[in-house]
Amino acid sequence: MARFNFTLNGSRAEVDVDPSTPLLWVLRDHLGLTGTKFGCGVAQCGACTVHVNDEAVRSCAYTIDAVEGARVTTIEGLSNSGPHPLQKAWIEHQVPQCGYCQPGFIMAAAALIRQQPRPSEADIEASITNICRCGTYARIKRAILAAAG
Amino acid sequence: MSITASSTLSRRDVLHGVAASAVVIVVGRLAQTEVLAQSAASALAINAYVAIAPDGRVTLQCAHSEMGQGIYTTFAAIIADELEADWSKCDVVFSPAAPPYRHPVYNWQFTGNAESIRSYHVLIRKMGAAAREMLIAATADRLRVPPAELIAREGMVRHAASGRALGFGEIAAAAAARPVPAEPRVKPESEWRIVGGGRSLPRRDIPAKVEGSAVFGIDIKVPGMVHAAVASAPMIGGRPASIDEASVRGMNGVIRVLPLDSAVAVVAEHYWQARLALERLNVTWQAGLGGSFDDAAIDAMYRNAFARDSGWAEAEKQRDALAMLAGSSRVIEAEYRSPWLSHAPMEPMNATVSVTEAGVTVWAPTQGMQMTQIVLARALQIPSEKITIHRTYLGGGFGRRLLADFVLQAALCSKAVGRPVKLIWAREEDIKQDWFRPAFLDKVRATLGADGLPAAIHHRLVAPSILAPVSPVPINPGTVDGLAVEGLVEHPYRIPHRRVDYHMLQVPIPTMVLRTTGHGPNNFALESFIDELARAAGRDPYQYRRLLLSDDAAALAVLDRAAMLASWGKAAPGRFQGLAFADAFGSYLCQVVELSIVDGAIKLHKVTSVCDPGRVLDRVNAAAVIEGGVVWGLSAALYSEITFDRGQVRATNFDGYRVVTLPDTPELVTDFLENRSAIGGLGEVGPVCVPAALCNALFAATGRRLRRLPLAAERVFTVYGKIFS
Repeated sequence: MARFNFTLNGSRAEVDVDPSTPLLWVLRDHLGLTGTKFGCGVAQCGACTVHVNDEAVRSCAYTIDAVEGARVTTIEGLSNSGPHPLQKAWIEHQVPQCGYCQPGFIMAAAALIRQQPRPSEADIEASITNICRCGTYARIKRAILAAAG
Repeated sequence: MSITASSTLSRRDVLHGVAASAVVIVVGRLAQTEVLAQSAASALAINAYVAIAPDGRVTLQCAHSEMGQGIYTTFAAIIADELEADWSKCDVVFSPAAPPYRHPVYNWQFTGNAESIRSYHVLIRKMGAAAREMLIAATADRLRVPPAELIAREGMVRHAASGRALGFGEIAAAAAARPVPAEPRVKPESEWRIVGGGRSLPRRDIPAKVEGSAVFGIDIKVPGMVHAAVASAPMIGGRPASIDEASVRGMNGVIRVLPLDSAVAVVAEHYWQARLALERLNVTWQAGLGGSFDDAAIDAMYRNAFARDSGWAEAEKQRDALAMLAGSSRVIEAEYRSPWLSHAPMEPMNATVSVTEAGVTVWAPTQGMQMTQIVLARALQIPSEKITIHRTYLGGGFGRRLLADFVLQAALCSKAVGRPVKLIWAREEDIKQDWFRPAFLDKVRATLGADGLPAAIHHRLVAPSILAPVSPVPINPGTVDGLAVEGLVEHPYRIPHRRVDYHMLQVPIPTMVLRTTGHGPNNFALESFIDELARAAGRDPYQYRRLLLSDDAAALAVLDRAAMLASWGKAAPGRFQGLAFADAFGSYLCQVVELSIVDGAIKLHKVTSVCDPGRVLDRVNAAAVIEGGVVWGLSAALYSEITFDRGQVRATNFDGYRVVTLPDTPELVTDFLENRSAIGGLGEVGPVCVPAALCNALFAATGRRLRRLPLAAERVFTVYGKIFS
């Protein structure tokens, strides 16, 4: 067990956990933020995507000892002034089906449009590699284009 | 290499004989007012589906589980429409697992088989209508006017002549005390105001799902709750032989090590502590009944079944196909194979269970409400009524969550430690402990008449049962599994001599339904074959199917609409099209795939889908379900396959069990017709024609006929998928 300090959605967070604990389980199990989802545990599906220092990372394969002193943003803290433009577009385009993977997609898309405010379809195809078993990809693409429009 | 085929795998024992006998029930539920645990405390139950609070808020019970298909919204909207409620004042809750919410024919509460609307539509409209009539009767008493002068609309009952009106909330108590109408009159469709007619409602679950606040099973928190992680036997059907508990003694947070039937669980204060202990735990395993089988051994079982005369059952016979084929000088023959598949929903199996002296409480993402009650009741030796099931949102289901094996594991852990336990399968466990959609091996023969159309068709299918684990009645070897032969029997093609034979293979692997059930693999076989027959007859595949469907105006309309929307036969140079048709889950579907070949790889351009489910109750959601289904079908056609080695599943995560991602998703065009007289299903329909349409388009492009899925197994990839080849 060891203590780790970081900034979570703008507030200070401290946990005392095994250093090998993935950030995902620290968020979900120790800090009660369950919007970030567990899908595969091996950084394949992206359901656990959060931002660490504004970069999208897959928190299931990102251990807490790498987060010390960092700024972490989860779906719960994506926007502090009402829904993020992506979240609005997601509702407008009725994107989610089961919805389980959608916070991960929104976090991945948010990181993309921070770097490329007007991504092309090719940019989206190159950078959004998350998995959705319901197959909402076509609407995800439309919603990103709309939010970035 | 040894194989012992057995239908009595240990995991099956849990379910053996659990189901109630299937009973046909007349709709006699109108008087039932099940206590609604999740309704507002002050709401009065008018019947089992409708409760109204004094402030006018209406609580509607959703008998089904929301796993992405939008049922949470549409199911309630159907009731609200009949009730003449104000939709903005309606709340929707998931019903208890209780008799009023059971399937009206099977008397069995589950969500699956694309049945949530088609099987409940009559029942829930009557529930809404009965509540409306009781509200009107109560208002008539109160206002001293004849009921015929009253109209219910948007949560009010109005008396036009006097201008008086009462809100539903004001008369709910009086309405609840009224006699229940024996034959409530549902509205004519022309008076639907909330569903149908091209309308669409924003889905109620979507805002929470984009905020991250929606509660799935994995998100449940209960006071005093601890966590469990599970490792199952590496070999299918294996069991723990010995467990060295000392190997994890003293590890942080570890509470208990527990042998389960085919697995071992560690219960700890936090989930990752349980996972760490599980990694360190020394377990030796004993092999399963199936021994050390691999793909070749399983394939040989399929081949051997074809070589044998025994074990076959006749699934369909119209006139004499065998005699026609025997007397024909030109028989066209082909073999098609669909692979083993895993459900792999994004949310791995999990459940939270509290076992106490007083009873059992379950919080679970389940499609099998009644199955869960029965499995727990038998295992824990307590009455079903003492098992309360709270349903959460499901992070996908695709059939997997019909079973209760994962809930039972959580219950056994809770019983052992005396605290509520949340048990979560790692993805590897989710795939290892899956009950797979088995491979289907189809051999089909036909002979053409002088008109070029098939005069006789004989279809032979070898596949394990997919229905047995979820059927309320036993499904025995040597008989027909009705779901396994779906799509081969009773298809609407005009072929005079038809025969379908089915061999229920016994395999040492658990098998079960998966989205599309038998329709998926069977449509791949039949619709690829019809394409081959069209080519053999020198006909255009679309025109050929038009002739085969010439007796069925609704089917023809679907085919024609799809051909029109896809500009069939007019693809740009270098682009190629393939189509397929299905009559599945009570709906007609035609899909057209358009692709090109770039550097030897497939570039998918467009998939056009036209579906006739009789009535479309929510246009935007229906389109979403079909679109998502297309992607599901593409995964099955292009990539996904479970393979076996040394009695084990080879790939147990998404790095090996591949599915379609965003870059592979083509343009999706989706449209609906509403010509069929009965209402059909949607949830399982969307993927059905995709594999055949894709392979038919590939044949058009390359002249190569692919008869085995997934295409990756044939070293055929998409432009994007090639990167991984």
